[in-house]
Amino acid sequence: MLPVERIIGEEGLSATPRGARLAMRLPWYRSLPFSTVEVGSVTLDGAPVDLADARIEFDDITFPLAEMGEQTNAFWFVRDSAFLVMPGVDVAAGSDHEVSLLLYVNPPYIPGMKRVNPQTATLRVN
Amino acid sequence: MTVANGPQMGVTLYSFTNEWLTRQFELDGLLREVAKRNLGPNIEIIGFQSFKEFPDVSDDFAAYFKDLMAETGLNTVSCAINSDRFMKPGQQPIDDADLVEYHKRQLRSAKKMGFKLARSQFACPAHLLPELAPFCEDIGMQMGVEVHAPMWARHPAVLEYREMYEKLDSPALGWIPDFGGTARAIPPSLLDAARAIGTPEALIEITKEIWQGDEASYVKAGKLRAIAQDKGYDPLHVQACTLSFFILSNNDPHSWAEMVDRTIHIHGKFYGVNDEGVEEAIPYEEFLPLFRDGGFTGTIVSEWEGHAYCTADAFEQVRRHQAMCRRILAEAPVAA
Repeated sequence: MLPVERIIGEEGLSATPRGARLAMRLPWYRSLPFSTVEVGSVTLDGAPVDLADARIEFDDITFPLAEMGEQTNAFWFVRDSAFLVMPGVDVAAGSDHEVSLLLYVNPPYIPGMKRVNPQTATLRVN
Repeated sequence: MTVANGPQMGVTLYSFTNEWLTRQFELDGLLREVAKRNLGPNIEIIGFQSFKEFPDVSDDFAAYFKDLMAETGLNTVSCAINSDRFMKPGQQPIDDADLVEYHKRQLRSAKKMGFKLARSQFACPAHLLPELAPFCEDIGMQMGVEVHAPMWARHPAVLEYREMYEKLDSPALGWIPDFGGTARAIPPSLLDAARAIGTPEALIEITKEIWQGDEASYVKAGKLRAIAQDKGYDPLHVQACTLSFFILSNNDPHSWAEMVDRTIHIHGKFYGVNDEGVEEAIPYEEFLPLFRDGGFTGTIVSEWEGHAYCTADAFEQVRRHQAMCRRILAEAPVAA
Protein backbone atom coordinates (compact mmCIF):
# COMPACT_ATOMS: atom_id res chain seq x y z
CA MET A 1 0.00 0.00 0.00
CA LEU A 2 1.40 3.41 -1.00
CA PRO A 3 1.76 6.03 1.75
CA VAL A 4 -0.91 8.15 0.07
CA GLU A 5 -3.40 5.26 0.27
CA ARG A 6 -3.00 4.52 3.96
CA ILE A 7 -6.03 5.49 6.05
CA ILE A 8 -5.67 3.50 9.27
CA GLY A 9 -3.29 5.57 11.38
CA GLU A 10 -0.14 4.45 13.18
CA GLU A 11 -1.81 5.00 16.56
CA GLY A 12 -4.31 2.22 15.75
CA LEU A 13 -7.29 1.37 17.95
CA SER A 14 -7.58 2.47 21.58
CA ALA A 15 -10.01 1.88 24.44
CA THR A 16 -11.08 5.17 26.04
CA PRO A 17 -13.82 6.12 28.52
CA ARG A 18 -15.56 7.82 25.59
CA GLY A 19 -15.61 4.66 23.46
CA ALA A 20 -13.28 2.96 21.00
CA ARG A 21 -10.94 5.42 19.27
CA LEU A 22 -9.58 4.73 15.79
CA ALA A 23 -6.65 6.64 14.27
CA MET A 24 -7.25 7.78 10.68
CA ARG A 25 -4.74 9.13 8.15
CA LEU A 26 -5.68 11.46 5.33
CA PRO A 27 -5.17 9.72 1.96
CA TRP A 28 -3.96 12.77 0.06
CA TYR A 29 -0.67 14.61 -0.40
CA ARG A 30 -1.74 17.78 1.45
CA SER A 31 -3.90 18.93 4.32
CA LEU A 32 -7.58 19.37 3.55
CA PRO A 33 -10.54 21.02 5.23
CA PHE A 34 -12.44 18.33 7.16
CA SER A 35 -15.53 19.32 5.15
CA THR A 36 -14.07 17.66 2.06
CA VAL A 37 -13.53 14.25 3.70
CA GLU A 38 -16.25 11.72 4.46
CA VAL A 39 -16.14 8.68 6.71
CA GLY A 40 -18.01 6.12 4.62
CA SER A 41 -18.16 3.22 7.06
CA VAL A 42 -16.40 1.29 9.79
CA THR A 43 -16.74 -2.41 10.48
CA LEU A 44 -15.38 -4.17 13.55
CA ASP A 45 -14.84 -7.92 13.21
CA GLY A 46 -17.13 -7.86 10.20
CA ALA A 47 -20.02 -6.04 11.87
CA PRO A 48 -20.93 -2.50 10.77
CA VAL A 49 -20.46 0.16 13.48
CA ASP A 50 -23.28 2.65 14.01
CA LEU A 51 -21.59 6.04 13.62
CA ALA A 52 -24.64 8.19 14.48
CA ASP A 53 -23.04 9.46 17.72
CA ALA A 54 -19.40 9.25 16.61
CA ARG A 55 -17.08 12.23 17.05
CA ILE A 56 -13.91 13.47 15.40
CA GLU A 57 -10.96 14.49 17.57
CA PHE A 58 -7.98 16.35 16.14
CA ASP A 59 -5.49 18.16 18.39
CA ASP A 60 -7.65 20.39 20.57
CA ILE A 61 -10.75 20.35 18.40
CA THR A 62 -13.62 17.91 18.51
CA PHE A 63 -16.93 17.81 16.67
CA PRO A 64 -19.69 15.33 15.86
CA LEU A 65 -18.97 13.22 12.79
CA ALA A 66 -22.37 14.26 11.46
CA GLU A 67 -21.11 17.87 11.32
CA MET A 68 -17.85 17.14 9.52
CA GLY A 69 -19.26 18.50 6.26
CA GLU A 70 -19.56 21.95 7.88
CA GLN A 71 -15.90 22.14 8.94
CA THR A 72 -14.61 24.31 6.10
CA ASN A 73 -12.05 26.15 8.22
CA ALA A 74 -10.67 23.26 10.26
CA PHE A 75 -7.76 21.65 8.45
CA TRP A 76 -6.66 18.04 8.77
CA PHE A 77 -2.86 18.28 8.66
CA VAL A 78 -1.65 15.59 6.30
CA ARG A 79 1.07 14.32 8.67
CA ASP A 80 -1.25 13.81 11.63
CA SER A 81 -3.89 11.28 12.51
CA ALA A 82 -7.42 12.41 13.24
CA PHE A 83 -9.34 10.17 15.62
CA LEU A 84 -12.78 8.68 15.20
CA VAL A 85 -14.34 8.15 18.63
CA MET A 86 -17.17 5.61 18.63
CA PRO A 87 -19.29 5.79 21.80
CA GLY A 88 -20.81 2.51 22.88
CA VAL A 89 -18.16 0.43 21.13
CA ASP A 90 -16.37 -1.59 23.78
CA VAL A 91 -12.98 -3.04 23.03
CA ALA A 92 -10.74 -4.58 25.66
CA ALA A 93 -7.11 -3.48 25.92
CA GLY A 94 -4.87 -6.14 24.42
CA SER A 95 -7.59 -7.78 22.30
CA ASP A 96 -7.26 -8.12 18.52
CA HIS A 97 -9.88 -6.88 16.07
CA GLU A 98 -10.26 -6.75 12.35
CA VAL A 99 -11.11 -3.17 11.43
CA SER A 100 -12.30 -1.99 8.02
CA LEU A 101 -12.44 1.72 7.32
CA LEU A 102 -13.73 3.51 4.22
CA LEU A 103 -12.95 7.16 3.56
CA TYR A 104 -13.93 9.39 0.68
CA VAL A 105 -11.82 12.40 -0.30
CA ASN A 106 -13.20 15.22 -2.45
CA PRO A 107 -10.22 17.44 -3.35
CA PRO A 108 -11.64 20.99 -3.14
CA TYR A 109 -9.94 22.26 -6.29
CA ILE A 110 -11.02 19.32 -8.51
CA PRO A 111 -14.79 19.49 -8.96
CA GLY A 112 -16.48 16.13 -9.23
CA MET A 113 -13.52 14.04 -8.09
CA LYS A 114 -14.36 11.62 -5.30
CA ARG A 115 -11.59 9.26 -4.30
CA VAL A 116 -12.56 5.99 -2.64
CA ASN A 117 -10.15 4.75 0.00
CA PRO A 118 -10.74 1.40 1.76
CA GLN A 119 -8.38 -0.33 4.20
CA THR A 120 -8.70 -3.36 6.45
CA ALA A 121 -6.24 -4.23 9.21
CA THR A 122 -6.05 -6.38 12.30
CA LEU A 123 -5.32 -4.10 15.23
CA ARG A 124 -4.42 -4.84 18.86
CA VAL A 125 -6.21 -2.44 21.19
CA ASN A 126 -3.93 0.01 23.02
CA MET B 1 29.10 26.06 -21.70
CA THR B 2 26.71 26.94 -18.92
CA VAL B 3 24.51 29.99 -19.13
CA ALA B 4 25.27 32.22 -16.17
CA ASN B 5 21.94 34.01 -16.15
CA GLY B 6 19.82 31.17 -17.41
CA PRO B 7 17.34 29.06 -15.47
CA GLN B 8 18.28 28.19 -11.89
CA MET B 9 17.76 24.77 -10.34
CA GLY B 10 15.88 23.72 -7.24
CA VAL B 11 13.41 21.19 -5.89
CA THR B 12 9.89 21.08 -4.54
CA LEU B 13 9.46 19.17 -1.29
CA TYR B 14 6.45 17.56 -3.01
CA SER B 15 9.00 15.21 -4.59
CA PHE B 16 9.47 13.73 -1.11
CA THR B 17 5.78 13.13 -0.43
CA ASN B 18 6.32 9.47 0.50
CA GLU B 19 9.15 10.27 2.90
CA TRP B 20 6.97 13.01 4.41
CA LEU B 21 3.75 11.02 4.79
CA THR B 22 5.57 8.10 6.39
CA ARG B 23 7.14 10.51 8.91
CA GLN B 24 10.71 9.61 7.95
CA PHE B 25 11.60 13.30 8.21
CA GLU B 26 10.36 16.29 10.15
CA LEU B 27 10.37 19.55 8.16
CA ASP B 28 13.75 20.66 9.50
CA GLY B 29 15.31 17.25 8.85
CA LEU B 30 13.97 17.15 5.30
CA LEU B 31 15.31 20.60 4.46
CA ARG B 32 18.70 19.71 5.97
CA GLU B 33 18.79 16.52 3.89
CA VAL B 34 18.00 18.48 0.71
CA ALA B 35 20.77 20.96 1.52
CA LYS B 36 23.25 18.20 2.40
CA ARG B 37 22.64 16.50 -0.93
CA ASN B 38 22.94 19.80 -2.85
CA LEU B 39 19.47 19.46 -4.34
CA GLY B 40 18.67 23.16 -3.84
CA PRO B 41 19.41 25.87 -3.37
CA ASN B 42 15.97 26.96 -4.57
CA ILE B 43 13.00 25.48 -2.79
CA GLU B 44 9.30 25.17 -3.45
CA ILE B 45 6.99 24.07 -0.65
CA ILE B 46 3.27 23.30 -0.80
CA GLY B 47 1.84 25.34 2.06
CA PHE B 48 -0.89 22.84 2.83
CA GLN B 49 1.57 19.95 2.72
CA SER B 50 4.38 21.13 4.94
CA PHE B 51 3.05 23.88 7.23
CA LYS B 52 0.61 22.81 9.90
CA GLU B 53 -0.50 26.40 10.52
CA PHE B 54 -1.41 27.01 6.87
CA PRO B 55 -3.30 29.00 5.59
CA ASP B 56 -2.57 31.41 8.50
CA VAL B 57 1.04 31.10 9.60
CA SER B 58 2.01 32.76 12.90
CA ASP B 59 4.87 35.23 13.29
CA ASP B 60 6.67 32.73 15.53
CA PHE B 61 6.56 29.95 12.97
CA ALA B 62 7.60 32.30 10.16
CA ALA B 63 10.63 33.42 12.21
CA TYR B 64 11.55 29.79 12.98
CA PHE B 65 11.24 28.90 9.29
CA LYS B 66 13.36 31.83 8.13
CA ASP B 67 16.08 30.85 10.60
CA LEU B 68 15.95 27.30 9.27
CA MET B 69 16.36 28.47 5.69
CA ALA B 70 19.26 30.72 6.66
CA GLU B 71 20.94 27.86 8.52
CA THR B 72 20.60 25.45 5.58
CA GLY B 73 21.53 28.03 2.95
CA LEU B 74 18.38 27.25 1.01
CA ASN B 75 16.42 29.88 -0.89
CA THR B 76 12.64 30.15 -0.49
CA VAL B 77 11.37 30.70 -4.00
CA SER B 78 7.87 29.32 -4.38
CA CYS B 79 5.03 28.52 -2.02
CA ALA B 80 2.29 26.46 -3.64
CA ILE B 81 -1.14 27.68 -2.60
CA ASN B 82 -4.48 26.07 -3.33
CA SER B 83 -7.58 27.51 -4.98
CA ASP B 84 -10.00 25.48 -2.86
CA ARG B 85 -13.24 26.58 -4.39
CA PHE B 86 -15.29 23.47 -3.69
CA MET B 87 -15.32 23.33 0.11
CA LYS B 88 -18.59 21.41 0.33
CA PRO B 89 -18.75 18.40 -1.99
CA GLY B 90 -21.80 18.37 -4.21
CA GLN B 91 -22.79 21.92 -3.25
CA GLN B 92 -22.18 25.32 -4.81
CA PRO B 93 -18.60 26.62 -4.87
CA ILE B 94 -17.73 29.22 -2.24
CA ASP B 95 -18.44 32.89 -2.97
CA ASP B 96 -15.95 34.88 -5.04
CA ALA B 97 -15.25 37.20 -2.08
CA ASP B 98 -14.47 34.23 0.17
CA LEU B 99 -12.22 32.66 -2.47
CA VAL B 100 -10.29 35.93 -2.90
CA GLU B 101 -9.82 36.17 0.87
CA TYR B 102 -8.72 32.50 0.97
CA HIS B 103 -6.00 33.34 -1.55
CA LYS B 104 -4.96 36.44 0.36
CA ARG B 105 -4.57 34.48 3.61
CA GLN B 106 -2.18 32.09 1.87
CA LEU B 107 -0.31 34.85 0.03
CA ARG B 108 0.24 36.77 3.29
CA SER B 109 1.59 33.63 4.97
CA ALA B 110 3.90 32.88 2.05
CA LYS B 111 5.21 36.44 2.08
CA LYS B 112 5.75 36.33 5.83
CA MET B 113 7.90 33.21 5.45
CA GLY B 114 10.07 34.82 2.79
CA PHE B 115 8.72 33.24 -0.39
CA LYS B 116 8.92 35.32 -3.54
CA LEU B 117 6.07 33.82 -5.51
CA ALA B 118 3.04 31.61 -5.13
CA ARG B 119 1.77 28.78 -7.32
CA SER B 120 -2.01 29.00 -7.83
CA GLN B 121 -4.51 26.85 -9.70
CA PHE B 122 -7.09 27.16 -12.47
CA ALA B 123 -9.86 26.55 -9.91
CA CYS B 124 -9.43 30.29 -9.29
CA PRO B 125 -11.61 31.84 -12.03
CA ALA B 126 -9.88 34.34 -14.33
CA HIS B 127 -12.41 37.03 -13.41
CA LEU B 128 -10.93 37.21 -9.89
CA LEU B 129 -7.45 38.09 -11.15
CA PRO B 130 -8.21 41.85 -11.29
CA GLU B 131 -8.68 41.69 -7.52
CA LEU B 132 -5.68 39.49 -6.78
CA ALA B 133 -3.10 41.18 -9.02
CA PRO B 134 -3.08 44.54 -7.16
CA PHE B 135 -2.93 42.71 -3.83
CA CYS B 136 0.12 40.76 -5.01
CA GLU B 137 1.73 43.96 -6.28
CA ASP B 138 1.07 45.67 -2.92
CA ILE B 139 2.71 42.96 -0.83
CA GLY B 140 5.49 42.27 -3.34
CA MET B 141 4.59 38.76 -4.40
CA GLN B 142 4.11 37.16 -7.79
CA MET B 143 1.36 34.62 -8.41
CA GLY B 144 1.55 32.07 -11.20
CA VAL B 145 -1.08 29.59 -12.27
CA GLU B 146 0.21 26.05 -12.73
CA VAL B 147 -0.32 24.81 -16.28
CA HIS B 148 -0.77 21.13 -15.43
CA ALA B 149 -2.07 18.26 -17.59
CA PRO B 150 -4.55 18.18 -19.22
CA MET B 151 -3.88 21.91 -19.60
CA TRP B 152 -1.44 23.14 -22.22
CA ALA B 153 -0.78 26.35 -24.14
CA ARG B 154 -3.98 26.21 -26.18
CA HIS B 155 -6.41 24.73 -23.67
CA PRO B 156 -9.55 26.92 -23.36
CA ALA B 157 -8.88 27.65 -19.66
CA VAL B 158 -5.35 28.78 -20.53
CA LEU B 159 -6.63 31.01 -23.35
CA GLU B 160 -9.10 32.65 -20.95
CA TYR B 161 -6.30 33.34 -18.49
CA ARG B 162 -4.06 34.57 -21.28
CA GLU B 163 -6.65 37.13 -22.31
CA MET B 164 -6.91 38.40 -18.73
CA TYR B 165 -3.12 38.46 -18.34
CA GLU B 166 -2.83 40.61 -21.46
CA LYS B 167 -5.59 42.93 -20.28
CA LEU B 168 -4.11 43.43 -16.78
CA ASP B 169 -0.47 43.30 -17.89
CA SER B 170 0.56 42.98 -14.24
CA PRO B 171 4.15 41.98 -13.40
CA ALA B 172 2.67 40.06 -10.46
CA LEU B 173 0.97 37.46 -12.67
CA GLY B 174 2.48 34.73 -14.81
CA TRP B 175 2.65 31.10 -15.86
CA ILE B 176 4.09 28.08 -14.10
CA PRO B 177 4.49 25.33 -16.73
CA ASP B 178 4.36 21.80 -15.36
CA PHE B 179 5.14 19.84 -18.56
CA GLY B 180 2.84 16.87 -17.91
CA GLY B 181 0.57 18.18 -20.67
CA THR B 182 3.23 17.55 -23.30
CA ALA B 183 4.34 13.97 -22.66
CA ARG B 184 5.33 11.50 -25.36
CA ALA B 185 4.23 8.33 -23.56
CA ILE B 186 2.87 6.87 -20.37
CA PRO B 187 5.86 6.47 -18.02
CA PRO B 188 7.11 2.86 -18.19
CA SER B 189 7.52 3.04 -14.40
CA LEU B 190 3.77 3.67 -14.05
CA LEU B 191 2.98 0.66 -16.22
CA ASP B 192 5.48 -1.46 -14.27
CA ALA B 193 3.70 -0.44 -11.05
CA ALA B 194 0.41 -1.58 -12.60
CA ARG B 195 2.01 -4.88 -13.64
CA ALA B 196 3.35 -5.34 -10.10
CA ILE B 197 -0.21 -5.50 -8.76
CA GLY B 198 -1.17 -8.04 -11.42
CA THR B 199 -2.63 -5.87 -14.19
CA PRO B 200 -2.89 -8.02 -17.34
CA GLU B 201 -0.74 -7.02 -20.32
CA ALA B 202 -3.85 -6.80 -22.53
CA LEU B 203 -5.33 -4.08 -20.31
CA ILE B 204 -2.04 -2.17 -20.41
CA GLU B 205 -2.04 -2.33 -24.23
CA ILE B 206 -5.62 -0.96 -24.34
CA THR B 207 -4.60 1.85 -21.95
CA LYS B 208 -1.63 2.83 -24.14
CA GLU B 209 -3.83 2.98 -27.21
CA ILE B 210 -6.53 5.11 -25.55
CA TRP B 211 -3.90 7.43 -24.03
CA GLN B 212 -2.69 8.39 -27.53
CA GLY B 213 -6.10 9.87 -28.39
CA ASP B 214 -7.07 13.54 -28.35
CA GLU B 215 -10.08 13.25 -26.02
CA ALA B 216 -10.38 14.83 -22.58
CA SER B 217 -9.04 12.83 -19.62
CA TYR B 218 -12.46 11.87 -18.32
CA VAL B 219 -13.53 10.65 -21.77
CA LYS B 220 -10.46 8.43 -21.98
CA ALA B 221 -11.15 7.13 -18.46
CA GLY B 222 -14.74 6.39 -19.43
CA LYS B 223 -13.61 4.50 -22.52
CA LEU B 224 -11.24 2.34 -20.51
CA ARG B 225 -13.85 1.64 -17.83
CA ALA B 226 -16.41 0.60 -20.44
CA ILE B 227 -14.01 -1.84 -22.10
CA ALA B 228 -12.83 -3.11 -18.71
CA GLN B 229 -16.37 -3.75 -17.56
CA ASP B 230 -17.18 -5.57 -20.77
CA LYS B 231 -14.13 -7.79 -20.45
CA GLY B 232 -14.35 -8.21 -16.66
CA TYR B 233 -11.07 -6.58 -15.60
CA ASP B 234 -10.42 -5.96 -11.89
CA PRO B 235 -11.38 -2.36 -10.88
CA LEU B 236 -8.08 -2.05 -8.99
CA HIS B 237 -6.14 -2.77 -12.19
CA VAL B 238 -8.30 -0.32 -14.12
CA GLN B 239 -7.66 2.37 -11.50
CA ALA B 240 -3.90 1.83 -11.77
CA CYS B 241 -4.08 2.40 -15.54
CA THR B 242 -6.56 5.31 -15.43
CA LEU B 243 -4.10 7.45 -13.45
CA SER B 244 -2.12 7.97 -16.66
CA PHE B 245 -5.00 9.90 -18.29
CA PHE B 246 -5.06 12.50 -15.50
CA ILE B 247 -1.38 13.19 -14.97
CA LEU B 248 -0.13 13.18 -18.57
CA SER B 249 -1.37 14.12 -22.00
CA ASN B 250 0.38 14.28 -25.36
CA ASN B 251 0.11 17.85 -26.65
CA ASP B 252 2.83 19.51 -28.75
CA PRO B 253 5.96 20.13 -26.62
CA HIS B 254 6.94 23.11 -28.78
CA SER B 255 3.71 24.88 -27.80
CA TRP B 256 5.43 26.05 -24.58
CA ALA B 257 7.13 28.69 -26.74
CA GLU B 258 3.88 30.68 -26.59
CA MET B 259 4.16 31.00 -22.80
CA VAL B 260 7.86 31.70 -22.24
CA ASP B 261 7.55 35.49 -22.03
CA ARG B 262 5.21 35.35 -19.03
CA THR B 263 6.73 32.30 -17.33
CA ILE B 264 7.79 33.17 -13.78
CA HIS B 265 8.66 29.73 -12.43
CA ILE B 266 8.80 26.16 -13.68
CA HIS B 267 7.65 22.85 -12.27
CA GLY B 268 10.05 20.32 -13.69
CA LYS B 269 7.50 17.52 -13.57
CA PHE B 270 9.02 14.09 -14.14
CA TYR B 271 8.35 10.44 -13.47
CA GLY B 272 11.68 8.70 -13.91
CA VAL B 273 15.10 9.57 -15.32
CA ASN B 274 16.75 6.44 -16.70
CA ASP B 275 20.38 5.32 -16.53
CA GLU B 276 21.08 7.23 -19.76
CA GLY B 277 19.93 10.47 -18.10
CA VAL B 278 16.69 10.78 -20.08
CA GLU B 279 13.22 11.35 -18.63
CA GLU B 280 11.16 8.35 -19.66
CA ALA B 281 7.92 10.13 -20.64
CA ILE B 282 8.42 13.89 -21.03
CA PRO B 283 10.67 15.19 -23.86
CA TYR B 284 12.76 17.79 -21.99
CA GLU B 285 15.21 17.99 -24.87
CA GLU B 286 12.47 19.45 -27.05
CA PHE B 287 11.22 22.29 -24.85
CA LEU B 288 13.76 23.19 -22.16
CA PRO B 289 15.97 25.16 -24.59
CA LEU B 290 12.92 27.28 -25.49
CA PHE B 291 12.90 28.73 -21.97
CA ARG B 292 16.65 29.25 -21.86
CA ASP B 293 16.74 30.90 -25.27
CA GLY B 294 13.60 32.89 -24.51
CA GLY B 295 15.32 34.58 -21.57
CA PHE B 296 13.75 32.72 -18.64
CA THR B 297 15.99 33.25 -15.59
CA GLY B 298 13.72 31.92 -12.84
CA THR B 299 13.85 28.54 -11.16
CA ILE B 300 13.13 25.04 -12.42
CA VAL B 301 12.12 22.97 -9.39
CA SER B 302 12.41 19.22 -9.85
CA GLU B 303 8.99 17.74 -9.20
CA TRP B 304 9.13 13.95 -9.01
CA GLU B 305 5.61 12.54 -9.13
CA GLY B 306 6.48 8.86 -9.45
CA HIS B 307 5.64 8.73 -5.74
CA ALA B 308 1.99 8.55 -6.80
CA TYR B 309 2.50 4.94 -7.84
CA CYS B 310 5.88 3.73 -6.52
CA THR B 311 8.27 4.15 -3.63
CA ALA B 312 11.56 4.60 -5.48
CA ASP B 313 14.26 6.78 -3.86
CA ALA B 314 13.04 10.34 -4.40
CA PHE B 315 16.41 11.89 -3.59
CA GLU B 316 18.13 9.86 -6.31
CA GLN B 317 15.38 10.69 -8.79
CA VAL B 318 15.75 14.42 -8.11
CA ARG B 319 19.54 14.20 -8.46
CA ARG B 320 19.14 12.56 -11.87
CA HIS B 321 16.56 15.11 -13.00
CA GLN B 322 18.72 18.08 -12.08
CA ALA B 323 21.71 16.54 -13.86
CA MET B 324 19.55 16.03 -16.95
CA CYS B 325 18.29 19.63 -16.93
CA ARG B 326 21.82 20.98 -16.50
CA ARG B 327 23.01 18.85 -19.41
CA ILE B 328 20.25 20.06 -21.71
CA LEU B 329 20.67 23.71 -20.70
CA ALA B 330 24.41 23.53 -21.31
CA GLU B 331 23.99 22.32 -24.87
CA ALA B 332 24.48 24.87 -27.60
CA PRO B 333 21.37 26.52 -29.04
CA VAL B 334 20.18 25.07 -32.30
CA ALA B 335 21.16 27.40 -35.16
CA ALA B 336 18.20 29.34 -36.51
